[in-house]
Amino acid sequence: MIRVVLVDDHELFRAGVRGELGDRVEIVGEAGSVAEAVPLIHDLDPDVVLLDVHLPDGGGEAVIAAVSQERPGVKFLALSVSDAAEDVIGVIRAGARGYVTKTISSEELTDAVARVSEGDAVFSPRLAGFVLDAFRAGDPVGPDAELETLTPREREVLQLIARGYRYKEIAARLHLSIKTVEAHVSSVLRKLQLSSRHELTRWAHERRLI
Amino acid sequence: MTQIPALPFERSESDRVVAGVCAGIARELRVDPTLVRLVLALLTLAGGAGILLYFALWVWTGGRHPVYAVLILGLATMTLLGALGVPWTIFIGAGLMVAGLVLLARRGASLRPGGGSLGIPGIALAVAGAVVLLDHIGSSNAFVGPGALAGALALVLGPWVWQLAKERNERIRLAERAEIAARIHDSVLQTLALVQRHAADEQRVRGLARRQERELRRWLYGSGYGDAQTFEDALADAAADVEEAHGTRIELASAGNAPLDEPLTQLVLAAREAMANAAKHSTADEIAVYAEARPDSVSVFVRDRGVGFDRSAIGDDRRGISESIEARMKRAGGSATVASSPGQGTEVELTMPRGAA
Repeated sequence: MIRVVLVDDHELFRAGVRGELGDRVEIVGEAGSVAEAVPLIHDLDPDVVLLDVHLPDGGGEAVIAAVSQERPGVKFLALSVSDAAEDVIGVIRAGARGYVTKTISSEELTDAVARVSEGDAVFSPRLAGFVLDAFRAGDPVGPDAELETLTPREREVLQLIARGYRYKEIAARLHLSIKTVEAHVSSVLRKLQLSSRHELTRWAHERRLI
Repeated sequence: MTQIPALPFERSESDRVVAGVCAGIARELRVDPTLVRLVLALLTLAGGAGILLYFALWVWTGGRHPVYAVLILGLATMTLLGALGVPWTIFIGAGLMVAGLVLLARRGASLRPGGGSLGIPGIALAVAGAVVLLDHIGSSNAFVGPGALAGALALVLGPWVWQLAKERNERIRLAERAEIAARIHDSVLQTLALVQRHAADEQRVRGLARRQERELRRWLYGSGYGDAQTFEDALADAAADVEEAHGTRIELASAGNAPLDEPLTQLVLAAREAMANAAKHSTADEIAVYAEARPDSVSVFVRDRGVGFDRSAIGDDRRGISESIEARMKRAGGSATVASSPGQGTEVELTMPRGAA
């Protein structure tokens, strides 16, 4: 059983997720705000935290920042209806291992939780689109060039995720193993989190202005 | 004190640059507001008299202590006279003294403490006036007069300037709030009413909810309500239409955006046809749509995990793919690829070069 804490300020949504998640997942605690979530996660030390990007007293980023030091084993999966790319990228850069939209089916959500608990990354098509946009081709410069750009293979994998392909389908299409596909996605996540790419900031800024 | 009559005009609520004073006067005099603004601007060149006059009229029409308005009017007159060559220090000194004393007189000719806030500006004005006069007569210190004058002005005008700014901010806030209220009324409340009326029709309710969600998103994060101006918004509109018509969920992802021109409009129409095809024939409950805008071209991928089909086995009655998708893309300078096989779902790939004619 994967032990999960659910952090979302909408009681209705929490109730829905509680009823939908399969028997591989056990919800051990729920919180509706940053202030509630931080001590709860600290005490329960769950495997995965399902984290709303927007909370009344701060973003999901605040929860991650407050507990990741002392509870490094806890994995975060961001869950949102928000379309604002900079918020999503923000919570990923804070340390979440994936992002899914709240319209996801319960079966896919269970899969995503399991994947994140094993240390893999979970990208929804929407997040894949955001990342491709943020890492637009061209101008890799500086000493961290490896972190600044996506490899053609990573780009290809992300594009297929954005087009709605599952890992298994991507593996078959690109003649790779599923493990390799997962490794590519994890690598993209690492770049997203570690890159100091000024493009990311500029891009988020542009998005906000549009 | 005699009651000061109300001014024969009111500030304009709709036409205003600062607080609507000029437009109000213009309306009463039946002239162009720009003319009034011009006159005030010219007066401003005369030592700032225009600004003071504006303040006075604003204070007066605002229903505040008219005596302040009279004071500022006096100051404006003096400034104007000063600009015309009359030794201004005399006017200002005397004016300030008179004004200060008038203020004090209004408080019952009393200097007792606790006489209210009016007492302090009154005293300050009178003292400043005296200093200015003495300074002019004695011509001893070049700094005392102007310093006292500036101090008195700051004391009296400061709160008004602050209040003027506050009032303006308040107006802007109210206008924003009215706009949000109007949006919510036009969209969210209407949708909720529709949802209540069609509660039994699950497909319809689902479509309504998704459409409303898209609209709100576009308003919050995109280019606003109304006709789509960008490719991304137009595609989202098309997806919402198909969802509403067929009840199939469409997940939309995109990277990059572009202004909506004619070739891209054709691309959106072809993509819409591909989505409608998938919704009608695939039996899948979800369609994934991904749009990528690159500097040289824009691509849309429409994918479903439905029944798929064998192209050669399709009858002529289903002209959607060849006519509405492939021929349309070709006419507009783009291309379309359809990949499908029975049981494997379908993916339509549409590509339009940027700047295609």
